[in-house]
Amino acid sequence: MEQLLVPSLCTIEKIIQETADIRTYRLKFKDENLMSKFQWLPGQFVEFSLLGYGECTFCISSSVTRKGTFDCSIKRAGAVTSDIHSRLDEGDEVGIRGPFGNNFPLEELKGKNLLFVGGGIGLAPLRSLIQYCIDNRADYKDFTILYGARSSDDLCYKEETKEWQNNPSLKVILTIDRAEDTWHNNVGVVPKILEEVVKPTIENTKVITCGPPIMIKYTLQSLDRLGFDPKNVITTLEMRMQCGLGKCGRCNIGSTYVCKDGPVFTYEQLKTMPDEY
Amino acid sequence: MSFSTYKTDKAGLQKFYEAIIGACSTYAPVEKFGKYDYQKVAGLAACNPDSPIGNTMSIKPLFFPKSAKILKYKADSSGTEVSETTADPLAEKRVILGVKHCDARGLQVLDHVYKWDFIDTDYETRRNNTIIVSTRCDKAGEQCFCTSLDYDVEKSDAFDVLIVNGDNGTIYVQARTEKGEGFLKEHAGNLAAADGGAEEAMKKQYKSFEDSFRLKMNYEEINGKMKDRYESDEFDKVSANCIGCNTCAFICPTCHCFKISDERIKDEGVRYKSYDSCNNGYFTLMAGGHNPRPVKYRRWRQRAMHKFVYYKERFGVNLCVGCGRCAISCPVNISIFEVVKQVAK
Amino acid sequence: MDYTKQIQDIAARLFSEGKIDVFVGYRSTGYDENQVPVIITDAGEVDKLVFNDRSVFNLVNYLKFEQTRNKRVGIVVKGCDSRALNLLLTESQVKRDNLYIIGIACEGVLGEDGRKAQNCLECVMPDAVVYDELLGTPSGKREYVVNADILEIAAKGLTERAAYFEDVFSSCIRCNACRHSCPLCYCAKCCIDQDSSALYNGSNTESSAFHALMTWSLHLAGRCVDCRNCEKACPSHLPLHLLHKQNEMVIYQNFQGHLSGLVPEERGAFYKYSLSDPDDFIM
Repeated sequence: MEQLLVPSLCTIEKIIQETADIRTYRLKFKDENLMSKFQWLPGQFVEFSLLGYGECTFCISSSVTRKGTFDCSIKRAGAVTSDIHSRLDEGDEVGIRGPFGNNFPLEELKGKNLLFVGGGIGLAPLRSLIQYCIDNRADYKDFTILYGARSSDDLCYKEETKEWQNNPSLKVILTIDRAEDTWHNNVGVVPKILEEVVKPTIENTKVITCGPPIMIKYTLQSLDRLGFDPKNVITTLEMRMQCGLGKCGRCNIGSTYVCKDGPVFTYEQLKTMPDEY
Repeated sequence: MSFSTYKTDKAGLQKFYEAIIGACSTYAPVEKFGKYDYQKVAGLAACNPDSPIGNTMSIKPLFFPKSAKILKYKADSSGTEVSETTADPLAEKRVILGVKHCDARGLQVLDHVYKWDFIDTDYETRRNNTIIVSTRCDKAGEQCFCTSLDYDVEKSDAFDVLIVNGDNGTIYVQARTEKGEGFLKEHAGNLAAADGGAEEAMKKQYKSFEDSFRLKMNYEEINGKMKDRYESDEFDKVSANCIGCNTCAFICPTCHCFKISDERIKDEGVRYKSYDSCNNGYFTLMAGGHNPRPVKYRRWRQRAMHKFVYYKERFGVNLCVGCGRCAISCPVNISIFEVVKQVAK
Repeated sequence: MDYTKQIQDIAARLFSEGKIDVFVGYRSTGYDENQVPVIITDAGEVDKLVFNDRSVFNLVNYLKFEQTRNKRVGIVVKGCDSRALNLLLTESQVKRDNLYIIGIACEGVLGEDGRKAQNCLECVMPDAVVYDELLGTPSGKREYVVNADILEIAAKGLTERAAYFEDVFSSCIRCNACRHSCPLCYCAKCCIDQDSSALYNGSNTESSAFHALMTWSLHLAGRCVDCRNCEKACPSHLPLHLLHKQNEMVIYQNFQGHLSGLVPEERGAFYKYSLSDPDDFIM
C-alpha cells in the first residue's frame, strides 16, 4: 500500500492568481504516457503533495474534455496551502495521486435543466462539470450558473465567467455579498439571490451546488423551500480526506467513506448521514 | 475438512516451540518494562508464549507498524526525485507464537478494510507470510469480553494452530486452517497424535474459560440499540473522564486510522505513515478551522459507533473484538464495554 | 488512611449549599482495588466517592477539561496534587474563587503491586499546600532525596546510558497519554503538534519519540511535582520519571534548592529570575 501512497511527479505549467488567496495550478505529468492515460470524470479529486510539507485533497477543477493538462484551484487556508502558495512557481514539480472518489452522475444529468449554485472556492469542483457540460452542450437543456462570493475580488475564474456570460446558451447570474461602486450585478448572499432572482423551476431540473459549509446549509434550506426533491440536489463534500483509498479513516462519516462513496452526494444521501461535515 | 489434532505435555510443547524458533523466523511475547511485546526471538528462554492478556500488547504492530516509511524525496533546483523505500522488514515468512484469540480475530476484521478495493499489498504479503499459533486463554482477563461478540471464539479459524491446555498437564495442538495443517506436518515431529478424548477435553477447557468471564453482553441487542442512539445524551456522560490521549486507539488490535506526515531537512525528506486516532482533537480539523467534531463527546460517539455499528454496517463484522486492552491501558480506565452498555441501555 | 466518609459528607454539604457545580474525586472500579477519577454533578452521586491509599491519580488534571472549565469545582488533592494546583493558580489557569479544595495530609499511596509507590517514599511534601479544608494530621516537609534510579543510571557510562534510553524511546508509540494526563501540560495545541513543525509532527519514529519526550520533559523542568500520572498512563510502561527526576535534581542543585509548587504564587524555576541564579557559565 505504501505503493499506493507514492505520488507521481507533475510540473506546474501555469499559475493563475484568481483572487487574493486562491490560485489555479495547471498541471501536467512529467511522464507523457501518464498524462495521456490520466482520465477523470467531473467531481473526482487528487491528492496533491508539496513534498516535505504535506499532502492535500483538491478536486480537479477542469474537465478531461480539455486534454493535456488538469487544474487544481487552491485556496490558502492552512499550513500546507500557505506553503503551496508561497513556495511554488511555474516550472516547479509536485506530487499527484489519483484520481479518486466518485463523480457527478453524468447519465442522470442528460436531458435535464441544470442549475449550478456555487460560492467562493466552491465553484472549483463545479467548474469541471460545467466545462464538461459546455463541451457536450447538446446533451443538456437549460443551463444556469449562479455564482457568488464575498466581494468582486473573491470571485474565481474571472476570465472564464466572462466567457460564460458571453455564451448565449448559458444563463449566468453573479452576486457579491455587499455592494461595491464598480459592481453592476446582483448584491446579496447566494441563497437569497437563488430565491429572489433566479427563481428556478423545479420541473426536470437538477441542482448542483458547492461552497463554504454555511452557504451550503442555507442553500439547501432554500432549495427545500423552493420544493426541490432532495434526490435532484447534488453536492460535493470537501471533507477532510487523506489517503483517498478508504483506509486511513479520516473521512468517515458514519459508515460512509467520503473518498470512496463520495465526495459527490445527493442531498437525499446526506440526510441519511450523521451531521458531521 | 477436519484438521489434525496432536497432544503433548509441557516439556513437549517447549520442544515444539524450540523447534519452530530454530527453523523459522519467530515472534513471541518478550517482557519489557513489565509488559509483553511481540518481538523476534532467538530462543525460548527470551520469551513467554503464555503471557497474561492483562499486560500483553497486541500483534497489530507486526502487520500495521506504528510508523512506516512511504517515500524518500530530494527536491532542489535541478528537480525533484521521489524514491520508494526499500524492502518491507515485516514481509518475511514468519511464525508468531502465543497469540491471543482476540488478536487473531482482530486481523480477520482488519482484512476487510485492507483488501477492499485498493488492496494494501504490504499488509496482504505480511498476512500471507505469517503463521499464527494461538494459545487459548484458560481464564478471561478482568476486562475481556470476546465471547460476547459476533464471532465464535471456540470454532474460530482466525489462527492457523490452536493450543489448548487440557487436564493433568495434557496440551492439545490442533490445526485450524490448511496452512496450519501443513505447518504442523512439517514441525510437529515430537507431538503425538491425539486420541478420541481430545474433542471432549478441549470442549471442557472452553466451557471453564467461558464461565470465567466477568463481563458479558448481548451483542445483537447492543448493536441493534446503538444504531438509534446517535443523538443520545449518554455519550457526554460516559466520555466525561476521557483525557483525550490516543492510547486506546493505538493499542487496540483493530484500530487502523493513520496519518501521513512529512519530515524534512533542507532539500530532502521522508514521508511517513503513522498511527492516528479519531480521539485526537485535530482528527477532523480542516484547513480554515472548520471542525465537525470539536468536542470530546462527539469524538467518543464516533469511536463507540465505529466500533459497534458503522464497521459492521459496512463490512459485516464488528470492529471491536473484546480484548479489553483499551480499558486496561486507559489512564483513567474507561471501558468501551461500559460505554456501549450505558448508551444502549 | 481512609477519608471516604468525610469526603462524601463534605461533597454532599457543598452541593446542598449550592457552593459547587461539579465535584472531582475518586471512585472504585467495582471489580478490583484500583480507583478511577469520577466527576459528579449532584448530591445524589456522592456515595460513589471514596478515598484511601489507592486514590492515586492526580485529579488536578481534570481542571484542564471542558467538564470543569468556568464551573465551581470541588476537588480532592494530596500533597503532590496540590503542588500542581499551586502552579496552575500561579500560571493563571484556574481561578482560586472557583475551587473548593479538600486537602489531604497524605500518608502515601500504593502501587499496583501493593507496595508504597516510589514517589511516595521520596515525597518532600505529603501535606496539601493549598486547601479550604485539610483532612488528616500534617506531617510537614521532608528532606529532598535524589531518586535512586537516576543515581543508578548516572553510574553508567555514556554509551550504556545512550543505549538504555534508545531502548526506552523505541517503545514509545506517541500516544501522548503522558502529556494528556499531566496536570501541568495544558497548552491548547502542543508545540509538537504544530503543523509547521518540520521535524516531529507525529511521524512516530524513534527520533520523533526522542524529540517529543525530551522537549516535554524540558517544558516541565522546574514545574513537575512527581505525581507519576504520566508514568502510570504510559501504555508502554516507559520509566518517564527518570527524565523528570533528573531535571528536578539538576534544578535543586543549581537553583538554591528549588522544588516546584511548594510556595503559593511561586513560579517554576525557569519562569523566574533571581540575582543569585548561577551565572558562572556566562562569559
